[in-house]
Amino acid sequence: MAKKVFVIGLDCATPQLVFGDWKNKLPNLHKLIEGGIYGELESTIPPITLPAWASMVTGKNPGRLGFYGFRNRKNFSYDDMFFANSYSVKEDTVWDILSRQGKKVIVMGVPPSYPPKPLNGIMIGCFLTPDTDSDYTYPSSLKDEIREKVGDYIIDVHDFRTEDKDYLLHQIYKMTEIRFKTVHYLVTAKEWDFFMFVEMGPDRVHHGLWKYMDREHIKYEPNSPYEHAIFDYYKYLDEEIGGLLALLDEDTVVLVVSDHGAKKMDGGICFNDWLIREGYLTLKTGVDEPTRFKNEMVDWGKSLAWGSGGYYGRLFLNVKGREPQGQIPPEHYEGVRDELIRKLEALTDHRGRPLGTKVFKPDDIYTEVRGIPPDLIVYFADLDWRSVGTVGNPGVWTFENDTGPDDANHAQQGIFILYDPRQKLGRRVSGLHVMDVMPTVLNLMGVDVPPNVEGKIVV
Amino acid sequence: MTEPKENKVTIKIPRALYNNLKSIIQDTGFNSVTDFIVYVLRDLASRGGATGEGGSLTREEIQLIRRRLKNLGYL
Repeated sequence: MAKKVFVIGLDCATPQLVFGDWKNKLPNLHKLIEGGIYGELESTIPPITLPAWASMVTGKNPGRLGFYGFRNRKNFSYDDMFFANSYSVKEDTVWDILSRQGKKVIVMGVPPSYPPKPLNGIMIGCFLTPDTDSDYTYPSSLKDEIREKVGDYIIDVHDFRTEDKDYLLHQIYKMTEIRFKTVHYLVTAKEWDFFMFVEMGPDRVHHGLWKYMDREHIKYEPNSPYEHAIFDYYKYLDEEIGGLLALLDEDTVVLVVSDHGAKKMDGGICFNDWLIREGYLTLKTGVDEPTRFKNEMVDWGKSLAWGSGGYYGRLFLNVKGREPQGQIPPEHYEGVRDELIRKLEALTDHRGRPLGTKVFKPDDIYTEVRGIPPDLIVYFADLDWRSVGTVGNPGVWTFENDTGPDDANHAQQGIFILYDPRQKLGRRVSGLHVMDVMPTVLNLMGVDVPPNVEGKIVV
Repeated sequence: MTEPKENKVTIKIPRALYNNLKSIIQDTGFNSVTDFIVYVLRDLASRGGATGEGGSLTREEIQLIRRRLKNLGYL
């Protein structure tokens, strides 16, 4: 018999915490782990929220989806970018397919889901919803229903890059509480066969408070009152999850998944300053203090490449006939890319130790490349260091963040737990990828997996 | 719920087509012919661009999202 499936998405929930020391201290997740199958879930390249969740629900890689992060190149000009949103997902999602099969679906906060699209059930927009005045639910009348029956819904924390950690924690708990209340309401009041929601709290708490927990963190503060803040939040999440599990029947398979993991952030590589130092990027005039990188600053006639900041680095080449003032002849494109890969992989830290940077060519890692990806995707120190986009920094290495306080970077491995109340599975599995979630759900529900899906059925 | 008037426009379609669409959406998740038409047109619009941008976020929405992403440290 086709089963119901309930997917709990925990943005950034990370295996070393959930499957590690805390496993026995989180009783509800522990029950799912012990009775189900679980393992590390490999994220997309890059392990960034939008492409990772979109790959998870479509079973297709970012190259086929045609977007690679929040901002993507619209064309080959130097600064024309677009924000990925729900319209950017042109492949069938798991709920599109289930809707067509007549299954009732509820989708809440799964990025990217703003603007919400009609489906056979309910959709609530993700954290990219502008605000709760926006038309962020389908059907639109649900917005008022939630306000009336549950309370004021919270899209995301307001100010995440703050030094006021009490305020940040207060916001995160408030958001998680109202989200779980909303899930409670929808689980019990609405008809559904497939339910998926994503809670952003783990991501916010990792980025905001990791340094207080991790003794290996470069900014670790011993005896901080926030030392257990992340653990306490996971405990709270576990209790909330327990409350939801109590609502589900024996025919409902539960999945707990994350889009990527988390790890300490050791520092930042000033990508554009490095490109300047290596002779690939030339500014019109020198900049002697950290300044936001802008197209207008660059002497494009003398520049071969530029970079973008973020949890990973994006490198773009200035190619003749492609960019407005392109300099690299197309026949030298591969040569320049390979040269940059060699140099980036050889990059050391501020003490001369190898960083172990990984560099990817989009055309090597994706089965198809749609839209305009970066020419190179760079994991500085395998994501132990972030990419800093500003120019005019005192050196190539920095321990300050140009976008505000942030203690954690994204890690390639997230979590996967699948629990079927009717079967004792009880094993750890390896080799799982975010793209496996969609076909696994379809299979559990007795729906054929389309042939062009890349992920594999886990059970 | 009632939308602010300035956010919506009225488009007229032949009644026969309306009735046909009404029968098509019976027993589906679409609550109304309007929802169905908006869905189909959004889908069509989103397939229009080669860049993957598609869609029709307003300038104001884009500004709000930009601000949100900046606060979150993504920009």
